[in-house]
Amino acid sequence: MTETTEPLLAVKQLSVRYGGIQALSSINLAVLPGEVVALIGANGAGKSTTLRAISRLIDVADGSIIYDGADITRARPHQIVRAGIAHSPEGRRILARQTVQDNLRLGAYTRRDRKQIAADMDAQYGLFPRLAERRKQIAGTLSGGEQQMLAIARALMSRPRLLLLDEPSLGLAPLITAEIFTIIDNLHAEGVTILLVEQNARLALAHADRGYVLEAGSITFSGPASALIDDERVRQAYLG
Amino acid sequence: MRGGALVAPPDRQAGVDFSQILQNILNGLSIGSVYAIFALGYTLVFSILGIINFAHGAVFTLGAYFTYALTGQRFGFNGLLSNTALPVALPFIVAMLGGATLAGLVSVLVERVAFRPLRQRNADRLLSVVSSLGVAVILVNLIQYLVGAESYSYPSNPFGLSKPAINFGSVERPIPVRSIQIVIFAVALVILLLLTLAINRTMLGKALQAVAEDLTTARLLGINTKRLIVLTFFVSGFLAGLAGTLVGASQSITGPYFGITFGLKGLGVIVLGGLGNVSGAVLGGFVIGLAEAFVPPQFVQYKEAVAFAILFLILLIRPQGLLGRTQVQKV
Repeated sequence: MTETTEPLLAVKQLSVRYGGIQALSSINLAVLPGEVVALIGANGAGKSTTLRAISRLIDVADGSIIYDGADITRARPHQIVRAGIAHSPEGRRILARQTVQDNLRLGAYTRRDRKQIAADMDAQYGLFPRLAERRKQIAGTLSGGEQQMLAIARALMSRPRLLLLDEPSLGLAPLITAEIFTIIDNLHAEGVTILLVEQNARLALAHADRGYVLEAGSITFSGPASALIDDERVRQAYLG
Repeated sequence: MRGGALVAPPDRQAGVDFSQILQNILNGLSIGSVYAIFALGYTLVFSILGIINFAHGAVFTLGAYFTYALTGQRFGFNGLLSNTALPVALPFIVAMLGGATLAGLVSVLVERVAFRPLRQRNADRLLSVVSSLGVAVILVNLIQYLVGAESYSYPSNPFGLSKPAINFGSVERPIPVRSIQIVIFAVALVILLLLTLAINRTMLGKALQAVAEDLTTARLLGINTKRLIVLTFFVSGFLAGLAGTLVGASQSITGPYFGITFGLKGLGVIVLGGLGNVSGAVLGGFVIGLAEAFVPPQFVQYKEAVAFAILFLILLIRPQGLLGRTQVQKV
């Protein structure tokens, strides 16, 4: 009994409706502490919707979201951040009018430990040297790859126990994508728990422990990442 | 001798013009600073929610009446509250801050009634124009119902100033400026300074800027956006109420429609400065205040038109307003 680890995040029978459309139908997924879990699937399958429901940006029609043993299905978005979940969203959504430094500082908005915040900002600059060079720059002037780095660094500034990453490779050159995924590996090694949404299924599974496949709002496959990569049906549908 | 009969001595001519100009500048700065305070309230709400609060002028009016009531003065003979007064008479400064606070609370209520229900239903932003105008009409009529349509004046010399006017010129060429205008200017400067510091130098201000830029991002950063929106409406109403009291103190409260012209002019000020731009609202306030002060006395009945004429001209050249940023869509 002591060997079974409680999941850090458990999504149970989750359904989401947008207007009249069923975006998610009773999906189940779990993320164990320290795991990197990939959520893959075609465009419009409901991957981002799942993350947005966990962050409470959209309302849940049915089912529940359990984080660290507590039901957060009806929590408000800012309470989610305080609980320890950070979300690096689709489209990055950096604050284009503020400086790199202010973006990072606002990432720690929920924290009050000034000294530690300053230390963590330096840590982010160590992790993302390109951001360090541009700390006084207005974030809107950064390149796509730099903006993605800023979005991840900003999410890390809240010292999350669970990091939700939405399409970190979207629109980036292969070299930059590789750089980003090296950082994801490093975070994994440090023990950060990550739920990763990616359209690039092969890439995501290569860096994850386990994976789930979403199809039109339902989970059709799940299992260890290596098994999914080898699965004939997953290969045909998503790995080409 | 021949030239002297035709032309006035050069030094006196220059002197008259100069003192008149200085006088106009001082008057313009004083009224302009009130426009700035009032317009800031508009622009704060606009920058956060992207909507114009048309009840802002009514809150301005209410602020003036609240202050009047808090100074313990009696209302007139019309309306439900005829010939009544509060049992306490607060000193004017305290009453002014109290009136502004109450106006802030009304503004929070306006958000609750006219904006939040629409926002929660993701309604078209234009609908809030209608709902806030509706609230404005209700507030104005409520005032009339309660205290009638007559004009009210604050106690003379409300700030306890030792002199009614201060001479900025010399004994021979006086440039008298009413002391109350100097007080108004000083109060406005303090408010503007505090607000600018709060927005640019505090975490709360940066959070507010984040909410203004992207509500979703603000939520993801852990900012309690609902609470910040309420706070913004409070500050906005507080500033409106303060402006109402200051204008009431320099003239009088001219009735329930006191804030209507002011509300329209305030709109002109923020559009002139650049919608949603804090420094733009301040600059716009001073530009319009100064322009009005330079209207020659014989055209004083057209004073109200000056603001809109300037607005029209400047928007022809800079459609985004003086300090507004051009909309750049980055794909």
